[in-house]
Amino acid sequence: MKTRSFVQFVGPSVVLMILLLAAPLLTTLFLSVRNCTLDMEVVTVEESTPFGKKETVTQRARLDASGRAIQTCRFVGFEYYRKVLGYDPDPSPPAVAQAPGADAAAGPGAPLNEFQGALRFTLLYTFVTLPFVLGIGLLLALGVNAVSVRLRSVFISASLFPFIITPVVAALSIKWLFRDNGLVPQLLSNFGVQVYWMGQAWSAQFLIIVYGIWHVVPFAFIVFYAGLQSVPQDALEAATIDGASRWQRLRYVTLPHLMPLLVFVTLIHVMDAYRVFEPVIVLTQGAFTTSVQYLTYYILLQENNPYKASAAAVLTLVGILILLIPLLVRTWREQRGGA
Amino acid sequence: MQRRSPGLTALIYGGVLFWVVLASLPILWTAVISFRQYVDAFSAPIRWLAPFTTENYSRLWIEREFYRNFLNTAVVTVFTVTISLTVGCLAGYGLSRYRGALGFWLLLVALVFRAIPHSSLLPSFFTIFDALGIRNTYFTLIFVLVAINQPFTIWMLRSFFVNIPQELDEAALVDGCTRFQAFRRVIIPVMWPGVVTTGLFSFLLAYNDFLLSSALTNAEKMTMPAAIANAINAESEALLMQGVAGAVSITIPLVILIVIFQKQIVGGLTQGAVKG
Amino acid sequence: MKPKSLLRRLLVSAAVAALVPATAQARCDTLSDVKASEINIVGNAFPALQHIAKEMQACTKGGLKVQFKMTPQVKQEVEQAFGSGGKSAFDAAVVSMGVFADLNSKGQLQPMTDLVNKYRTKYKIEDNMLVKVNGEVMAIAFMQNAQNLFYRKDLFDKHGLKVPTTYAEMLAVAKTLKEKEPGIEFPIAQTFAKGWDSATEFTNIFAGYGGRFFKAGSAAPDFNGDAGVKALETMKAMTAYMTPNFLASNSDDVMNQFQQGKAAMGVLWASRASRMDDAAASKVVGKMDFAAAPAALAGGKAATHLWWDGVVMPKNLGGDRETVFQVLMEALDEETMRGGNDLTIWIRSGYKPTRFGTGVTASAKAGAPIWPTEPYFGLAHGEIGKVIPDVLSGAATPKQALDAAAAAYAKAATEKGFIK
Repeated sequence: MKTRSFVQFVGPSVVLMILLLAAPLLTTLFLSVRNCTLDMEVVTVEESTPFGKKETVTQRARLDASGRAIQTCRFVGFEYYRKVLGYDPDPSPPAVAQAPGADAAAGPGAPLNEFQGALRFTLLYTFVTLPFVLGIGLLLALGVNAVSVRLRSVFISASLFPFIITPVVAALSIKWLFRDNGLVPQLLSNFGVQVYWMGQAWSAQFLIIVYGIWHVVPFAFIVFYAGLQSVPQDALEAATIDGASRWQRLRYVTLPHLMPLLVFVTLIHVMDAYRVFEPVIVLTQGAFTTSVQYLTYYILLQENNPYKASAAAVLTLVGILILLIPLLVRTWREQRGGA
Repeated sequence: MQRRSPGLTALIYGGVLFWVVLASLPILWTAVISFRQYVDAFSAPIRWLAPFTTENYSRLWIEREFYRNFLNTAVVTVFTVTISLTVGCLAGYGLSRYRGALGFWLLLVALVFRAIPHSSLLPSFFTIFDALGIRNTYFTLIFVLVAINQPFTIWMLRSFFVNIPQELDEAALVDGCTRFQAFRRVIIPVMWPGVVTTGLFSFLLAYNDFLLSSALTNAEKMTMPAAIANAINAESEALLMQGVAGAVSITIPLVILIVIFQKQIVGGLTQGAVKG
Repeated sequence: MKPKSLLRRLLVSAAVAALVPATAQARCDTLSDVKASEINIVGNAFPALQHIAKEMQACTKGGLKVQFKMTPQVKQEVEQAFGSGGKSAFDAAVVSMGVFADLNSKGQLQPMTDLVNKYRTKYKIEDNMLVKVNGEVMAIAFMQNAQNLFYRKDLFDKHGLKVPTTYAEMLAVAKTLKEKEPGIEFPIAQTFAKGWDSATEFTNIFAGYGGRFFKAGSAAPDFNGDAGVKALETMKAMTAYMTPNFLASNSDDVMNQFQQGKAAMGVLWASRASRMDDAAASKVVGKMDFAAAPAALAGGKAATHLWWDGVVMPKNLGGDRETVFQVLMEALDEETMRGGNDLTIWIRSGYKPTRFGTGVTASAKAGAPIWPTEPYFGLAHGEIGKVIPDVLSGAATPKQALDAAAAAYAKAATEKGFIK
C-alpha cells in the first residue's frame, strides 16, 4: 500500500487520538511543572451565620480590578515530582516542632511516602494476579474445551460474568459479600474462622487481589479457549501417533501454540492492573491499599491540586512504560518476524 | 482417541462448575438482595428468606426516572460503537496492508496510549471543554470514549484484517479499483466476524464507563453507571437499595448480550486476534 | 412483574412526566422577568438535597429548564467551575460551609445583598438564613447539622446506665455493655473511615480538648501538640469497642450497625437520625434516642461542631442573576421545608423540630463551636485524615503521625500561598 493511501485510511483515527489523547497528555505534562498560587493576605472579617456573629482573623486572596483573584503561575521544574516521590530536599519549615529522637525508639517509623506505598501495592497486585490469571485461565480453557459441546455455551457465558459486569457494580457486589455480617464472614464463622476483611492490611490486600484475579480470569479464559480452537490438528495427531501422552501433547504442541496469546494477555493485564482503581476505592476506601491511579484521582479531587496530580499522573505513566518495555520488545520482535 | 479416566472427567467438570459458581455468586447475591427492603437486604445475621418486594425497581425506574439514564447510555453506546468501528476499520485495514515503519510506530504509540490512566486526562478535559462550552453534551462524551477506545480497536481490527488474504484486494486493485473501492467491495463483506468481536469490546467500554461519563455529564444526561454510583453514595439507605436495583438492571443487558453473542466472540477471536 | 405491565407503567409514567410540568408550573408561577432558558446547579446527593433538587427542577415557567447535578464530588466541580477563566459551568451551587469558606477566600462568590433586599418579602427570607461577611450576603443557608450522640435507650434503661456526657464515661458504658449485653459485641459505631470521616472525628474531639489548629493570626500548624495526641489516644481507645472493619466503615455502614441492632452508641450526623424509625430500614424502631455529643473533658463543651449548608452564586456567572436567584429562593421556601420536614434540620423558623433534632439543640446548648472557617483548614483536615489510620492500626504513634501531617500541611499551605 502506498504511504498516501495509508495516511488516508488511518487519518481519522490518528486525528481523534491526537486531539483527545495526545493533546490532553501534553497539557498534563505542562501542568506538572508549574504551580499557581494566589496572593493571600491576612484580614479580619466579621462573619454572620445562622449561629451568630463572630470576628475572625483569616486569609483572603487579593483581587485585581475585575474582582478575580490574582494568580501567579510559575515554572517549578521537578519540584512536584520530587514531592510526590518523597525526595523533597526542603527541610521542614521551622513552624513545626519536631519531636526529639525519643519517638524513634517508641515505635515504627513515620508513615511511608504515599506514592511509594501506592506503587508498591500496585506492583504487588499486578504481579501476584498475573500468574493466577494465566494459570486459572488456561486451566479453565482446557477444562471447558474438554466438556461436552452441548454444555459449553452455558459454561462460557457464565464464566464471562466477572469480566463483563461494570467494574463499579462488580466491586460493590464483592464488598457486599465480604462486609461485616456479609455472606462470606458468616459462612466462615460457621467453621470457627473469624476474619474482618477490611480491618487489617493482609486481608484487605488479599481481597483486592482476589477481586483482580476473579475479574480478569474470564478474559484470559476466552482468549486461550479461542486459541485452543485453532491448535493445528495434524500436529496433535502426529504426536498421538508417536505415542505422546495427554500431558506431553499439552506441553509440546498446545502450549507453544498458545504462547503468543499468553504474551498478549500478559500485556493487556499488566496495563489494566496497573490502573487498578474501582476495587481500591470501593472495597477499602484507600485504607491499607492505595494504587497509583487512586492516588492521582485523590490528589486531583480531594486535595484539589491539579499540578501535583499531573506530576503523579506522569510518574504513573513512566512507571507503566518501564514495565511494558520487555513486553513491547517481545511484541516488536514478533511483529518484525511475522508481518 | 484416548479415553479420559472418569476421575479426570469428574475433576474437569467439578473445576469448571466451581468456577461458574464463583463467577456468578456475587452478582446473584446482589440480585437476591435487590428484591428486599434495606432492613432485610443487609441484615445481620443474614436472612436467607425474606419478604419479596419490587419497590426498589419501581422507585428506581419510575420515580427516579432511571429510564432516562438508560436512554442516555443507549445513545452514547450506540454512537460510540458505530463511530469507533467505522474509524477503526479504516485504520485497521490501512495498518494491515502497509509495510512501512510508520505503521509499526503508530501501533506502538497506540499501545502506549492504551496505558494512559483516564484520571490523568481529566484536568485537561475540564479546562478545555469548559472553555469551549461543550462539557455537558453527548457529542463530547461520545468522541472522548471513541478516542480512548481507538488504540485497542485498531490493534484488534488490524490483526483481523491481517488474516484476510491480501490476494483478495490485490485482485480488485488489478481490476482497476482504488484502494477504497477495493476495501468496500472485497473486504467489507468478509470482515464481519472480527468487527462483531471488536464491536463487543467497544460496547463494553462505552457501556461500563464510569469515571469519564460522571465527570462530563450533568443530571439529565447521566449514563447508568454514574447514576447508580450517585444513588449508592448518597447517604440514604432508600437510595442505596435503588442503587442495588440499578446495579442489577444494568447487568441484565450485558448478560443477554453475552448469551447471544458468545459464539461470535469465540469465533471472532479464533479467526483473528488469536493469530497475533 | 410481567413485562407487559411494566412496559405499560413506563409508558404511562412517561406520559405523566410530559404532563407534569403543567401542574408543577404552579411552583414557579410568580417568577418575574425570566431571562434565561437553562439554569445549571450543582450540589450533593443526600436526601434533603434530592428534595430541593426536585423543587428546583419543577421550575419551568417561560420555557425555563433547571438542571441539578447531584454528585458527591461537589467540592471539585464547584472549584473547577467557579475558578475557571470563562463563564462558570454552573449558575449556582449548594455547598457546605467548608466549601463556602474556600470559595469565598478566593473571591469567587458574588454578593447577593441587593437580591435579598429585593425579594426578601416575596420569598420570606429570614435573617437567620443570611450568611454575611463584612455586611455583604455571600450565601443563603437553609439547613444546619451537627454530629450528636445516638444511643439505645432500651439497653441503657435495661442496665441502668446513665447517658454519657464525656468520652471517658462513654468508654466505661461501652465496657459494661460489651460484658453484660449478649447481642452487642461492638458497642460503639462511629465513622472512623480513612480520610474525611476520621479527620472530622479528630476535629471534633480535638476541639473538645481545647486544641487550636493554627497558631494565632497565621496559618502555621499547631495541631501536633498535646491536645492532638490526646484526641488520637481517645480515638484509639474507642476502637477497642468497634468492629475491626472500622477503617472502611462509612456512615452507611455505621447506620447499618445501629439499624441491625449491633451497636449501642456512637456520634453520628443528626440528619440521619430519622432513619432509625423506619421499619423498612431499621430493626430498632423507637429504641434509639439522641443526646448532645459527649465532651472530651469533664464539664467541657460538647465535642462536635455545628454546620450549615447553603446556596451560593459565582462571580463568573454566565446567566441572568435575578432569574437564578428567584429559582433558588423558590426551592428554599416554606413549602419545600414543610414537604421535607424530617429530611434535615431546617433553619427556617417554621421548622417543626422532631425528636431527631434534639441532639443538635442539646449540643449547641452544650457549647459546641461552629466548624472552622479558615480557608486553609481543609488542607490540614486532609493531611490529618491521611495519617489517622496509621495511628489507629498501631503503625505509628500519635505524635509521629501528627508531626508528619503538620509537616505535610505546612508544605501544602506554602504552595497555596497561605504560609509565606
